[in-house]
Amino acid sequence: MTDAILFWFLALVTIGAGLSVVLMSNPIYSALCLAMTMVGVSALFVTMGAYFLAGVQLIVYAGAVMVLFVMVLMLFDLKHEIQAFTRGKITGAVKIGTVGILAGLIVGAITLSSKVMELAKSAPAAAATGKTYGDNTMSLAQNLFLQNVFGFEALGVVLLVIAVGTVALSRSRGGTHARD
Amino acid sequence: MPETNFITTIGLEHYLVLSAVLFSMGMAGVLLRRNLIVLLMSVELMLNAVNISFVAFSKYNNNIEGQIMVFFVMTIAAAEAAVGLALAVSIFKRFKEVNIRFFEHLKG
Repeated sequence: MTDAILFWFLALVTIGAGLSVVLMSNPIYSALCLAMTMVGVSALFVTMGAYFLAGVQLIVYAGAVMVLFVMVLMLFDLKHEIQAFTRGKITGAVKIGTVGILAGLIVGAITLSSKVMELAKSAPAAAATGKTYGDNTMSLAQNLFLQNVFGFEALGVVLLVIAVGTVALSRSRGGTHARD
Repeated sequence: MPETNFITTIGLEHYLVLSAVLFSMGMAGVLLRRNLIVLLMSVELMLNAVNISFVAFSKYNNNIEGQIMVFFVMTIAAAEAAVGLALAVSIFKRFKEVNIRFFEHLKG
């Protein structure tokens, strides 16, 4: 019962904050609501037993990425935003309709899928047989550094390329640190 | 007595529906907003929704692989935010505004 109350509360917080990200016309409020969403998602990870990922989510998203966004917003000094949303009522309605149809299709597929129902039933049974999901961080590290070590290294290369590319972008003509 | 099993017992489908709703909100943000920064924030929202569904499947399958995938998604998201914001700064320096209609001037 406690986990149900926790889930509904967190779902409410996350969806409310996520909706405000889209609807607020001032970008700094959007950024604050996005930070709230990140904290909510991190708490949802805790309810699912992914403790290490919850910590990483807080540090990387609510810490690093949000600070990046807020710093850039501070740099821009946007007092007010002209034309925050797209023009055109018909195209706007079409876009909202498309999003609604997508959400409906996904939710319908989830509720009708027999595989999902089967999984949802099998999880308590697996827990009852003593096969524990936990010692989470250790098994995570073992999987990451034994089975997925190539992906890990490839990700390091991608990060290096991104860092060099960002510096090159700012040094190019018209960038923030152009040579001329 | 009405059926309250749906409310009191939290299962995989609850997390999946929450993830779908968050993803749709992020998609609506990308389609409807014109500010580049808010666009990037909406993309982050969509990536977070996907992370929720990865972790939920990982829990209900008793398989740790889904959480490894969340690591990769987080790294890519941070890199994407860095590059997107560098582009936004470069746009702002030239046009004094971060509306995506200025992006057509970037070519060439």
